Amino acid sequence: MRNNHLIRGILLILAVVSLNWGYAQQTITGKVTDAKTTQPLVGASVVIKGATKGTITDTAGMFKLETNQGDILKVSYIGYRAKEIQVTDKTTYNISLMPGKALEEFVVVGYGTQEKTDVTGAVERIETEDLNKGAITNPVQQMKGRAAGVDINQVGSEPGSTPTVRIRGITSLIGGNDPLVVVDGIQGNMDLLNQVPPSEIESIDILKGASATAVYGSRGAPGVIIVTTKKSREGDVSVEYNGTMSADFLANKLDVFNASQWREQARKWDVPYSADHGASTDWYDLLTQTGMTQNHTLAFGGGTENFSYRASVSAILQDGLVINSDNQKYIARIRGKQKALDDKLTLTLNLNNTNEKSNWSPTGVGRADFQSNLISNAYVAKPTDPVLNQDGSYFYDEDVFQYINPYAVAQEVVNEGSANNLFGALEADLELTENFTFGWFGSWRKVDRNSGYFAPYKSTLPNARDYNGIANVNTNLQDEKLMNMTLNYKKKFDKHRIKFDGLYEWQKQTYQGHFAQGRNFINDITSYNALQLGSIEDVLPGDISSYKNDRKLVSFMGRVNYSYDNKYILTASFRRDGSSVFGTDHKWGNFPSTSIAWRITQEPFMEDQDLFSNLKLRVGYGVTGNQQGLYPQQSKQLVGASGQVYFNGNLITNFAVTQNANEDLRWETRFQTNVGIDFGLLEGKLTGSLDAFVATTENLLFNYSVPQPPYPHGSIVANVGSLKNEGIELTLDYKAISTEDLTLSLGGNVSLLRNEVLSLSGSIDGIPLNTDYVGMGYNAYLIEGEPIGTFNILEHSGKDASNEETVVDRNGDGIIDQGSRSPDRYMAGSALPTYSFAFTPKMTYKNFDLSMVWSGSGGNMIYNSIRSSFSYFEKLGKSNLLESAKDLGLFTSEYGSDLWLEKGDYVRFENLTIGYTISTENLKYIKSLRLSVIGNNLAVFTGYTGLDPEVNMTGSAGSGADTGIYPRTRSVSLGLNINF
Amino acid sequence: MNRIVITIILILALFSGCTDVEETVYDNYAAEEFYASEEGSDAALASVYEQIPGNWNGVGYAGADRGWYDINSMSTDEQVVPHRTTGDWELTYAKLHKREWLPSHQYFNNAWNWLYESVFQANLAIKQLETAGADPSKIAEARVLRAFFYYLLMDAFGNVPFYKENNMAADQIPQKNRAEIYEFVVSELKEYVDDLPAKKAGDYYGRFNKWAGYTLLAKVYLNAEVYTGEAKWQECLEACRKVEEGGYSLHSGAMDESHPLGSRYFELFGDKCPNDETILAIYTTVNVVGRNIMTIRSLGGTDGTLLAGSNGWNGTIVPKDFLKKFSDNDIRKRQFRYGSDPYGPQPEGFMEYSLEVNNLDNPGAAPNAGARNQKFWPAEPMTGGGASNDFPIYRYADILLMKAESHVRMGSSGAAKSFIDQVRERAGLEPLDGAPTLEDIYWERGRELAFEGHRRQDMIRFGKFTEAHGFAPAVDDHYRLFPIPTSALNENPNLTQNPGY
Repeated sequence: MRNNHLIRGILLILAVVSLNWGYAQQTITGKVTDAKTTQPLVGASVVIKGATKGTITDTAGMFKLETNQGDILKVSYIGYRAKEIQVTDKTTYNISLMPGKALEEFVVVGYGTQEKTDVTGAVERIETEDLNKGAITNPVQQMKGRAAGVDINQVGSEPGSTPTVRIRGITSLIGGNDPLVVVDGIQGNMDLLNQVPPSEIESIDILKGASATAVYGSRGAPGVIIVTTKKSREGDVSVEYNGTMSADFLANKLDVFNASQWREQARKWDVPYSADHGASTDWYDLLTQTGMTQNHTLAFGGGTENFSYRASVSAILQDGLVINSDNQKYIARIRGKQKALDDKLTLTLNLNNTNEKSNWSPTGVGRADFQSNLISNAYVAKPTDPVLNQDGSYFYDEDVFQYINPYAVAQEVVNEGSANNLFGALEADLELTENFTFGWFGSWRKVDRNSGYFAPYKSTLPNARDYNGIANVNTNLQDEKLMNMTLNYKKKFDKHRIKFDGLYEWQKQTYQGHFAQGRNFINDITSYNALQLGSIEDVLPGDISSYKNDRKLVSFMGRVNYSYDNKYILTASFRRDGSSVFGTDHKWGNFPSTSIAWRITQEPFMEDQDLFSNLKLRVGYGVTGNQQGLYPQQSKQLVGASGQVYFNGNLITNFAVTQNANEDLRWETRFQTNVGIDFGLLEGKLTGSLDAFVATTENLLFNYSVPQPPYPHGSIVANVGSLKNEGIELTLDYKAISTEDLTLSLGGNVSLLRNEVLSLSGSIDGIPLNTDYVGMGYNAYLIEGEPIGTFNILEHSGKDASNEETVVDRNGDGIIDQGSRSPDRYMAGSALPTYSFAFTPKMTYKNFDLSMVWSGSGGNMIYNSIRSSFSYFEKLGKSNLLESAKDLGLFTSEYGSDLWLEKGDYVRFENLTIGYTISTENLKYIKSLRLSVIGNNLAVFTGYTGLDPEVNMTGSAGSGADTGIYPRTRSVSLGLNINF
Repeated sequence: MNRIVITIILILALFSGCTDVEETVYDNYAAEEFYASEEGSDAALASVYEQIPGNWNGVGYAGADRGWYDINSMSTDEQVVPHRTTGDWELTYAKLHKREWLPSHQYFNNAWNWLYESVFQANLAIKQLETAGADPSKIAEARVLRAFFYYLLMDAFGNVPFYKENNMAADQIPQKNRAEIYEFVVSELKEYVDDLPAKKAGDYYGRFNKWAGYTLLAKVYLNAEVYTGEAKWQECLEACRKVEEGGYSLHSGAMDESHPLGSRYFELFGDKCPNDETILAIYTTVNVVGRNIMTIRSLGGTDGTLLAGSNGWNGTIVPKDFLKKFSDNDIRKRQFRYGSDPYGPQPEGFMEYSLEVNNLDNPGAAPNAGARNQKFWPAEPMTGGGASNDFPIYRYADILLMKAESHVRMGSSGAAKSFIDQVRERAGLEPLDGAPTLEDIYWERGRELAFEGHRRQDMIRFGKFTEAHGFAPAVDDHYRLFPIPTSALNENPNLTQNPGY
């Protein structure tokens, strides 16, 4: 069905294209060239303005066109500034176009674009050529290191996984820290980026400051990422292929005991001989392989004056480092633009279909005392355990409680899924008068996710053994509709420029899904495809479930831009949002913002200086909201199923209050002030900007633990505390050399970030709530007056005679109190980095180009839970241990002390790209050809002893803890880019 | 053109009508409507029972691990889970057994949280049932359940926070002393126990009927001296007599080869507790309602698979001094498994458990050290997470032994003899030679009620709890109460920790 839509769209577009060729009476000829190199431009568009006639230059840059005298020729070419020429009595025209990008002087702000010089807020733009290349599967990876204040965190390299993005820190404790993503006007969560082929991005604009994000009101608090995809312009014909092939290697590996080391330790620690099964197995090696990432995109497009389109088909294919984990993604997209009514009406259609198929390496497997992903269970498996029995079946050790054979899990568990993402959007812009434009935008996005899981008996997983095979299917349907209408007014008079935007927006998101599980299959043939073949007797509560919920958001927004003499610029906006997810009296929230800019270099008194080529001061303030971390229905007291109960001689469903009412549930609001300077020095060779901000989140939403009684449920989602983020961001770009043959630019950025939990206490319905020391897991806490994820931990002191760990009794009362507020604990840093930086030099020499990305962050601590899990010799009989355990010599510990806490600072050689552009002058059909070699994650410099210093830093539970990650890849890629 | 602008503005204004942001709930019930209905108030009562089966995270009375059952059993001479040299099992059980516990011990916290959640559910049910004008027997049932939970709290922790209405904030709840809680439990039971239905089995299997109510009252009186310093033996005896009106009798202990352990006695701990002897049981179907880990937790890995079909946990062992109190002709001794010719099935390759245990914690016990318990011979369905045996909270043998004890305590040991002898004879033993002593009753209780969650209470009542046994050295008397968990103290400033902690 979906493909039919696509085909129909293409046919429609083709039909429209064919209408555009007409006939005329008089003939002119000409040549279009590059004004700098005088090379002919192939495929440049030459059209008669206001008519439907046009042509395209041939391979020699020549064109022929029927015209009338007085016609205006509009000549344009991608990457060049368009030119208009009046047809006179001449019949030949030599037209040269200046290179330069029309869009470069613009940045995309919410609901529109703005000239860069007019920007008053903190907005960062990344152009296509600055996006990271190589083994890239998601646009987020392309942004790493490219924008100050934008932290991109990749935990492991599992195929299909997306890094997390935090713009200016953690704004909310309940979630909703993911920025809003806007792709060509379509709004969505981070998963929307999965639908964008990395090579089809023209630019990424990141709205950081609240004065910029406030136009997105309730969805703006965590920042906004606006992706603009490539378009074709009038007269442009292009066929483009972009491809990379990468080999992905294990970047790092932990040292565990090999078989002989294990035996030596076993003898030393009284492990019974029966625990040694005589083999010598390297489980990690067995479960990993060299991965591969391929990325192919074929894009083509073209257009005449009234119509243009661009289409692309991409395949992104990954084979993971862990055996049997892979991901395949196919994206087809088409964007068409039609002008009508004397160019007054512009219609833009955007269709995208993305299909993704994954085999995930199983997660949440292991024994009761160590649950992690499959690969981390390779540390558990003893090197003396064989992989297979002599009869070829998987080895299983009955004497070990909840034994699993990780190789059997990798080979036998089916854990696959697919996601079908479809979106369509229609945009209509109508120029009403010279000053007024009206716009209508509608988008509809559907995401269907299906997954299937089957663990047969032989997979050795405890659940599968208990039930002789367990299989389930899971379907989640997501439906997101958005409609908005805008009215824009623009006027210039004297030195005044004024622009007004009004917006009404309506959004509805519906989520639905179902789950079914079957157990006890007589054989493994049907996998998860025939649950009915399982035993009906083994159906348990929770094996069948479904859900549905939705949310609505209605918004009004007005924005004024005013500029006087190009010196003083004011932007003010006001947005009012109503959301269904809040309590009855608190559904509406107001989100105002204002910002001003002063272009100091435009002042007369700056005329005589030549230090600054540009100097602009920006000050902004804005209020944004957050509701994305909040699930629907959370303001109501609800009763749901809570297991089964035997009552009246029958098994019946037990009901319980599953959620407390909070009619007071309201918007979480973030107040942010931003001060920034944009500058250009040394005749524009050194450019940069410096921004400082303070942001406070009030009415902090959190799932607070509440006392029972009076609450029937142990937690409540409420607005109680507050949170502060402060930061400084510096971006610099120095064009050190720019000669014809050699250019060198040195770019980079540094951000400092500090956050503090201001308060967690308050009252709900008059009941005081003294929340503090909220555990986030692994000794990280939310503590008033301290940063999010502060480690409040016991201090290791050594071990006693029986090799049990001892810790410092800080208050000297003879008792080690492990309570969260224990005086024996001390604060030992935070789980979140306090600084990050990137260095991005770029060089070209003749046809060679070279660029690098070095990035790093630090100031944070990591609780190395993997090291603590594999360092106690009490486990040696049933588990392997790290080699480092030998030096510690600990038998056991009752504590999780700072022995496992390590500094998280690192510098990563993220990317090295070396490219060579082959001269295509003599090639008839090829416009350009570039080959490149790219290395990703080439080196990491860190003191951290775990697999990789990038661990969970999302600001939610588990932050700052390394509980076992999918390994990181080190990739070498070959890239090919051809333009026909 | 101006007209178009006006039209557009009008259209915008029209759409501004679309400002409806009301919320629809599709997949849950609204609490107020739900509980106001008759089904709702019944569900509220059922929810109280949902608390009782043993479950994950130390929830429940018995059947699962890390909760009320473990703190009341692992802390005694009857059982312990040692750390193994093979790396299995944390030291938390060994610490309970050796009485090396601290207020932060997770299992105290689990038991406490479970009991207060249960009190809350009972309060809620009482209120809902009263509001809905439900049958008095149902209200009485909810009240007796609440008394049951307060009795368990007072028995374990002594002075505990007390509240009857759920509109009170948890940090405002006052702590009452043990005697006050005792008074409340007794008065509540006396007032409502006769309203309980006098029905057995069927609809009332696993529920507090009148006789279960009186058994509870008898238990409270039995331990009154421990709780208040004032003994109530006569009252205990009278409550036991009330229970007898229910027509209970001892289940047969006849030899029967169809049972894996060879005696019908073990049917008491099987899939369904027999109605002749069982007064109150916990219904269990693994992974549906509760679970019963008693045997799977004890058996070794391969033995679990060989004997019962699921990998054993190699956990619980029985200290040899306790086991030695069983004579060889006692059919109850068949609940233990050790040596080369153990009771029960002996499939090829079964494990030989040694009676001796070298060490509980560091380096731990050898993989096959320690006798195992198979009293709750696994009932189907079973998984590696447990079996489906129901669990007897109260049974008639206990009533007989309570009667015997009350008589001995009141100085008429002659009157006690027939009660204890009934229990002995069912177990295949000879009647006692003479009148029973307290020591006789103490050990008869130990043998009859082993692994049923009564041991700590009995040891305390007989003054044995703090004495040394096996790996556990003698400890101070304050250990007769568990400490109030640290987290509870943090949450409620009104609480005072028990003396000695």
